[in-house]
Amino acid sequence: MLSSLAHRALERDGLGGIRDKVLASERLTEAEALSLFEARDLAALGSLANHVREKRHGDLTFYNRNVHLNPTNVCVATCKFCSFARPDDKHASQGYTMSLEQSVHHVVSKRELGITEVHIVSGLHPDLPWEYYLETIRRIRQAWPELHIKGYTAVELHFFAEKFGKTHEQVLRELIDAGLTTIPGGGAEIFAERVRRKICDDKATAEQWLAVHRAAHGLGLKSNATMLYGHIETLAERVDHMARLRALQDETGGFQVFIPLAFHPEHNMIGKAFPKPTGYDGLRTFAVSRLFLDNFDHVKAYWVSLGERLAQASLSFGVDDVDGTVLEERIYHMAGATTPQALSEAQLHRMIRFAGRVPVERDSLYHVLRVHDAPAQGAVTAAAGGPR
Amino acid sequence: MKLRAAAVSFLNARPLTAGLAGSPLIDLVLAEPSLCASMLEAGDVDLALLPVGALPGRDWEVVPGLAIGADGPVQTVVLCGEEPPERWDEVFLDTASRTSQILAQLMLRERGITPRYTHMPAVEGLARAVGPKGALVIGDRAFDVRKRVILDLGREWNQLTRLPMVFAVWAARPGALRPEDVQELARGAQVGLGMRTELAQQFAREAGGDPERYRRYLTQKIRYGLGPHELDGLEAFLSRAALAGLVPPTKLRFADDVVRSRRIRRTVSIDLALQKGADGVRLDPDEAEALDEKAPLLELGLAADMRRRALHPEGVVTYIVSRNMNYTNVCTTACSFCAFYRPRGHDEAYVLDRGEMAKKIEETLALGGIEILLQGGLHPDLGVEWYEELFRWVKSTYPAINLHALSPEEIWHIARTSDLSLDATVDRLVAAGLDSIPGGGAEVLDDEVRRRIAPLKCSTDEWLTVMRAAHLKGLRSTATLMFGVGEDSRNRVNHFVRLRELQDETRGFTAFICWTFQPENTRLEPSDNSAHAYLRVNALARLVLDNVPNFQASWVTMGGGVAQAALHMGCNDFGSVMIEENVVSAAGTTFQMDSEEVERHIRDAGFQPARRNMRYQLIGQAV
Repeated sequence: MLSSLAHRALERDGLGGIRDKVLASERLTEAEALSLFEARDLAALGSLANHVREKRHGDLTFYNRNVHLNPTNVCVATCKFCSFARPDDKHASQGYTMSLEQSVHHVVSKRELGITEVHIVSGLHPDLPWEYYLETIRRIRQAWPELHIKGYTAVELHFFAEKFGKTHEQVLRELIDAGLTTIPGGGAEIFAERVRRKICDDKATAEQWLAVHRAAHGLGLKSNATMLYGHIETLAERVDHMARLRALQDETGGFQVFIPLAFHPEHNMIGKAFPKPTGYDGLRTFAVSRLFLDNFDHVKAYWVSLGERLAQASLSFGVDDVDGTVLEERIYHMAGATTPQALSEAQLHRMIRFAGRVPVERDSLYHVLRVHDAPAQGAVTAAAGGPR
Repeated sequence: MKLRAAAVSFLNARPLTAGLAGSPLIDLVLAEPSLCASMLEAGDVDLALLPVGALPGRDWEVVPGLAIGADGPVQTVVLCGEEPPERWDEVFLDTASRTSQILAQLMLRERGITPRYTHMPAVEGLARAVGPKGALVIGDRAFDVRKRVILDLGREWNQLTRLPMVFAVWAARPGALRPEDVQELARGAQVGLGMRTELAQQFAREAGGDPERYRRYLTQKIRYGLGPHELDGLEAFLSRAALAGLVPPTKLRFADDVVRSRRIRRTVSIDLALQKGADGVRLDPDEAEALDEKAPLLELGLAADMRRRALHPEGVVTYIVSRNMNYTNVCTTACSFCAFYRPRGHDEAYVLDRGEMAKKIEETLALGGIEILLQGGLHPDLGVEWYEELFRWVKSTYPAINLHALSPEEIWHIARTSDLSLDATVDRLVAAGLDSIPGGGAEVLDDEVRRRIAPLKCSTDEWLTVMRAAHLKGLRSTATLMFGVGEDSRNRVNHFVRLRELQDETRGFTAFICWTFQPENTRLEPSDNSAHAYLRVNALARLVLDNVPNFQASWVTMGGGVAQAALHMGCNDFGSVMIEENVVSAAGTTFQMDSEEVERHIRDAGFQPARRNMRYQLIGQAV
């Protein structure tokens, strides 16, 4: 139930109409989403988004235990916001490509840590054969049959299709046969053509990105969706991005979660002109997306990009998922992220509990693995003070 | 039933024991150090001010926060003789203290000296310490030792380890201490430490000698805190002694010091309390406590935002350009939550000189700064004259600089070391150029918490007394809260209520700032110190402190994003572009912003940035 203070604030800000639609579970228009973005009243906006979040999930807050695998950073695309990609494998350019053995070892060596998912994202390597990508999945599947393999963004999948002369469906079928279970949401950036032309004109277009996800959903794969915000895009272009996702979701129902990602400015081509988006921008983006994307189950805050403090605050602004323990994140850290490269499960629990929520470990398909409703032994430090 | 306790009668113990005279909880008998240990062992007492050498091999519970120690020369634990120690073939060990016996052996061993040790009373040992013989003398008679060679074992230890030496702690039979006993000991210490001048005079009347010398001994040589560095020193001593085979290995155990006593609270409607707060109606402590415990973040935020809109309808968010200049990190209070302080003999201990200060101030001016936030540790050697000269120099050399200086704790310290009244101290500092007072060192203004985390800091009343005195003389100050140190809702609300009462009286607080305890490099275990807790407590404070005009967002500890959220939940100020900050960063937090970045955050959050001075008057246009 929305509180009387929230009602008062929303009326005051002229958001009474939007509030009424949200309370009646009616769909918001793009113009309404834009006016929420521009409202400049974070507490009122947050209250509305929190209302929807709690209606869907109560206090449950999801995370998983995962490991990231980035088999190569060599990439033919020249995205202006990227600090990770290198043009070739040469030592001088700090490019690298992992052997199949290295990739498998990287994942399997984490077995004792209770990992349930590997998240695989790479560069668009000019020379690697199709077999490399298939074999990566195949060998991980063989070595660890019960592990969820979330692999290859739509941009990579589209690249494979073009490079190896296959349809999206063919690419996906072969990967599914090799052991792939879900598709990550990366590479979406901002769909608007004006923006893509300027920041990533040589990789999959919006239509191609959406086509890959449509194909995946058609084959029964679930996938995620991202939005890279806080660079050259306008607020209207953010809304347009979300609207296209919402439309595809109406069609397929295959998206599990929406993940707004903050642009990180260091060591890339546009960072100098565009500072990192502020935390305020992040919080309102979470809130608006929670309200606008009425057909998405989950909204995720990626703590690696936000920092633990903002990620925790986001749990009151529509977010119900904080990603995972994320072992050895590389992509954001090469763009200057100063967050830790991994969080222990106890740290995640502490962050979630202190926000008044209940930590829930999930798998890649958002099945609940364990509800941590009683404080685990030693997970939350007692309030006893004094020297130790 | 009263707790039976034993303590030594030495001068250095009196600040810990004098305040316990007439205590309703503790019955004190005085004895020699070694006797204190045997009484505890025999069960004659439950609690003793115990030489640390008596800790190994026992499971005594140590009382946190308090100790008798030194971080340099101690004067009352000495090895002496007529010839250099290298020539000693026998050393007579004063039987009065086992700790000093161990220390003496450790220090001689460090120098490669391994004489025969013979135990005998100091009077006898002293008389025999001629030729190749040395003697250990401890206690007050060491003040008067006349020998050609004197090794001060406090200094020797400090030079060897760069750590303070802890000689004695309060220790108790396991389970004997109730939390209120621990608090009583801390209370007693606060009283006793406040009367060190009197204790010195009294001792001079009893034993003869120079009262001033005794006063300096109590205020400058002996440390009474047991903070992180002192614990390091204690652990180093015990492990070296164990390595040398002098004592069995020891693991320190501490007495539980958490008190749980609750008053009965009437039932409060959260919704109604929020409405009242939002409308600027004064909240009573019951309502505030209920909100602290139960109200959701965004509800508190919405109400606080309504208050902010009522008090600051212009949509302007102010900030100041200032530099934090920490003139010294030497400190005697040894707070368990502090990562910044160093004991006096420590390698990293410093006092800034004029050249360093001039450079810092000039850099500040070059960056458009108008204020120096001058704060430091409680350095035992700096008297009021040092501060007066410093302030006069700053004001005459840099007239444009506002001196926002010295937390209440430091002002008390200056009064104490200079033997001045509080009023006289403030008057002299103001005459020398003090413009305003930062609200630091408040931590949680509830003695239940203060005694636990900072037993040697000034009490709640003392903190408020300084602020009252300063306000009545026309000075303005800020007020702060540091939380997440294991306090509860009631403690936090007590903090707000005490501030609100004084503000009703003086109107001297310009702003309130809170932040959470940053635990890295400290030994205190945090309770909830998360961003979520920060936003909640900050919003609650905006509702309860209805008479404090301005609220600062703490981006230094919380980061820019959380601070922006705070602007939408009660704050109207973005603090300062701090050209330098040392205390919080010592505890692991390192958020940095320049003016441009501060203004970008303010604008992006939907507000108009403006620069201000310490009195919250706007100055010039924003960049």
